[in-house]
Amino acid sequence: MVDDGERAPSPEETLRLIEEQRAATVRRFRGDPLFLYVPWGVAWLLGFTCFFLHYGLDGKPYAPISQTQALAVLMISMVIAGSLAAYEITRMNMGVRGESPARGAMYGYTWFAGMIVMSIIAIRVSPMLPEAEAGLLWSGVSMLVVGVMYMAGGAIFLYWPMFFAGVGVIAVNGLGVLLGPGWHALLTAVLLGVGQIVVGLWWRRRQCR
Amino acid sequence: MTAGGAVPELDPVIHAQARLRVVAALNTMGGGDEIAFPALKDLLGMTAGNLSVHLTKLEEAGYVQITKTHKGRTPVTYVSLTKRGRVAFDDYTKAIRALLDSAGGTS
Repeated sequence: MVDDGERAPSPEETLRLIEEQRAATVRRFRGDPLFLYVPWGVAWLLGFTCFFLHYGLDGKPYAPISQTQALAVLMISMVIAGSLAAYEITRMNMGVRGESPARGAMYGYTWFAGMIVMSIIAIRVSPMLPEAEAGLLWSGVSMLVVGVMYMAGGAIFLYWPMFFAGVGVIAVNGLGVLLGPGWHALLTAVLLGVGQIVVGLWWRRRQCR
Repeated sequence: MTAGGAVPELDPVIHAQARLRVVAALNTMGGGDEIAFPALKDLLGMTAGNLSVHLTKLEEAGYVQITKTHKGRTPVTYVSLTKRGRVAFDDYTKAIRALLDSAGGTS
């Protein structure tokens, strides 16, 4: 018997209603991939394409882009991507208190700490290296932090797609560092940059269904 | 064809679409999380008055916990699903699935 004058839904309707509400709630609290993942893909695509054009695959530049200009493009794009992600994470946690926001805040601080210490290490060590190797150090260590944080995020939020995204970043980064600066930039731009954009849009489409 | 005869066995507190959506949404959130009343209202697309009525019924059944507090000088109301509410929702979904299975088996 249902009070409030509502018609009793059939079992099929009830299960559909539960699933629709669950999906809407997940969308609200897991965030929009368009803000969380796609901007990072765009940043890597733009920044590492500039690095690739600067290094070339055989040591000869493909375009007159200096390392400083390439680094500036990557850093500016990453700051924009980080700002969009921070905005979305704030929106996700708005009106919620308890374990999830606390977990999210600690995870955010860990990102920040990782990136700061990574920069300190690169600033300290890169002057001792040739220009191309110094660039590879910056790229390789920063993508290591990204990969590890994605994998850790997957574990913390029990979200396998995020964990596997981290595995992909770690694998491509490791292979790229072994092959050298030009290849690292190319693989990161194409596989991780384009890959992150495609996967982000696919997640969004799946969430909106 | 629905198993209309078995419907009265379902938990009447949850078996109303509006309250079912409230409980389903709260159940999807983490066990240690609470959601502010306006955020829940927006998530469900309900009016404040309607949501308030349903929350009162759920609270009376011991399925939700309503905490009134202050954020600075602004009063804030947080809502969360109790353990009892989680168990009731779990039992409810099991019963619905069983109904669906039996309806499928007889057709």
